Amino acid sequence: MTRDQTNSQLEQAWALRQKRRSSQLITNVIVYVVLFVIAFISIYPFLWTVRSSFTTSGGLFEFPPGLWPTSPGIRNYVEVFQLVPIARQILNSVIICFFGVGGSVLLATLGAYPLAKMNFPGRDAIFYAILATLILPNEAGLIVNFITTKTLGLLQSDAGKYVAIILPALGNVAGLFLMRQAYLSIPLELLEAARMDGASELTIWRRIMLPLTLPTIAAFSILQFVAFWNTFLWPIIVIGSDRQLYPLSAGLLDLSGSFASNTRAVSAGAVIATIPIIIVFLFFQRYFMRGLEGAVKG
Amino acid sequence: MVSAPDLHSGQRSRVWRDTLIAYAFMAPVLLVKLLYTFWPIVFGVFLAFTEYNVISAPKWIGLRNFEELFGIGSFAARGPDRDFWFGMTNSLKYVLVVPIIQFLSIGLAMLVNRQLPGIALFRTAFYVPVVTSFAVVGLIWGWMYNQYGPVNYILTTLGLMNASNPTGLLNNPATALPAVMFVTIWKGLGYYMVLYLAGLQSIDRTLEEAAVIDGANRWEVFWFITLPGLRPTILVCSLLSTVSAIKVFEEIYVMTQGGPAGSTYTALFFIYNKSFGDFRFGYGAAAGLVVAAVSLVLGIINFRLTRGGRAS
Repeated sequence: MTRDQTNSQLEQAWALRQKRRSSQLITNVIVYVVLFVIAFISIYPFLWTVRSSFTTSGGLFEFPPGLWPTSPGIRNYVEVFQLVPIARQILNSVIICFFGVGGSVLLATLGAYPLAKMNFPGRDAIFYAILATLILPNEAGLIVNFITTKTLGLLQSDAGKYVAIILPALGNVAGLFLMRQAYLSIPLELLEAARMDGASELTIWRRIMLPLTLPTIAAFSILQFVAFWNTFLWPIIVIGSDRQLYPLSAGLLDLSGSFASNTRAVSAGAVIATIPIIIVFLFFQRYFMRGLEGAVKG
Repeated sequence: MVSAPDLHSGQRSRVWRDTLIAYAFMAPVLLVKLLYTFWPIVFGVFLAFTEYNVISAPKWIGLRNFEELFGIGSFAARGPDRDFWFGMTNSLKYVLVVPIIQFLSIGLAMLVNRQLPGIALFRTAFYVPVVTSFAVVGLIWGWMYNQYGPVNYILTTLGLMNASNPTGLLNNPATALPAVMFVTIWKGLGYYMVLYLAGLQSIDRTLEEAAVIDGANRWEVFWFITLPGLRPTILVCSLLSTVSAIKVFEEIYVMTQGGPAGSTYTALFFIYNKSFGDFRFGYGAAAGLVVAAVSLVLGIINFRLTRGGRAS
């Protein structure tokens, strides 16, 4: 290649770049407009609900839909607490989340350790069996799990019903994958050294594995918190119609079923049920996204 | 140095001990999985060949449940169970959300996969529906679709609906299913966007740059570099969304309960009603197996269309 050729190529590249720069600006404007429209569609239903929950007079369903609440006040929120035992339901949700997240994290962090760091007969078989449960037919799962839960005698007491809500969700495949993936990245020398020093496997798990995988544990915890906070179908099947025992999501459906026409109160309930999850999500967003990506990659 | 036989027996006891410890670590999670994941698969298959109402023991009836579903054998005179096949048809229509979600979320992922100020804020906004419970989502969209709700305001303004007498989309048998499908897309978009974003970021950038230098335009880069590179992600995402589309239940349970006039009645709704409504758990389980077979076929189609998810 001669120098002339190189020069003319450079000039061409330069002209191309100038052209690209102006078209880049137009592209960016279009990108922002599209993103804004989709973001609006994503968020508007929530804004509408918040507005309704603070609206204390006038209609909610009118053309065009209002933006700011008319005579804003917290009356609807007070009303929700009078209509249904929502304070109790919040407590139920907190209890379910606390033990559900704690339990599933404990089970996943324990169970993934041998899968990642120990050699024993049956390891691959177990791993693939767990993997297979993701694709095997489970359409009758709800039916059979209800029967199992009933047979275990968990539906006879209030405490038992909480256990019944939490128990099936404790064995989480995504959690096992995430933790296994995280454990695999810990160098084996670290474990060998600890084993040489006579540390038990439980000590190694607690003192080395857990501290080194905290970001993944955080990611999995957030995923599980969202799942437990939002669950409603299984709790309704397990609990039946005792609204004192409902977690918040199930309670919200019960509220809307009983007071369908009272949109203001129900929207206040919807806001109460959603706020905690949004706050947790905003605070731990980074971990959350990471957990999601990892769950699919693993 | 230890002598060979010693090492051997020492190793052996070590293996035993390690195996014991390994299974002790896994015992809690395996127990839960056995009880609530493996058992439903095994017992569900068994139940499909029985008559079972929870109160008395399951009674083996062979293929009768399937004969009833398909309208053959002893049920030849009555014909196939119309409710089931009606539900199955709606579930299959629901699968239409799969390509739409993939298309939109790939597009969205490519839009947010650039270094622009404020882009993180948009990603967050797209993700809020994902973390919200279907209980809340169903209620909110019930209001959005109200006769005088925001959706109809837009539709009447655009002249797509009669402004003097608007109908709520969920109350109209012709529009209820697409309306619920829209909510599924609305809620799922952010989720798949994040997965595709991860997929995009795993593609070797130098390949795209090399193609641009070779004179490929944007469309060619997308078609020949980006899309093949995304194939593994597309397979995972379309499998996930196909399985949840054919098993769609929660959004329908919350928004329309299968109505109006059965227009949103899906296969899983049939299973739920037969089991928890009519207490025909065996029949429900049989229907579950048929749904599983259908989703298996759809899974294979996904696999074929993405060429086994191999990036090339």
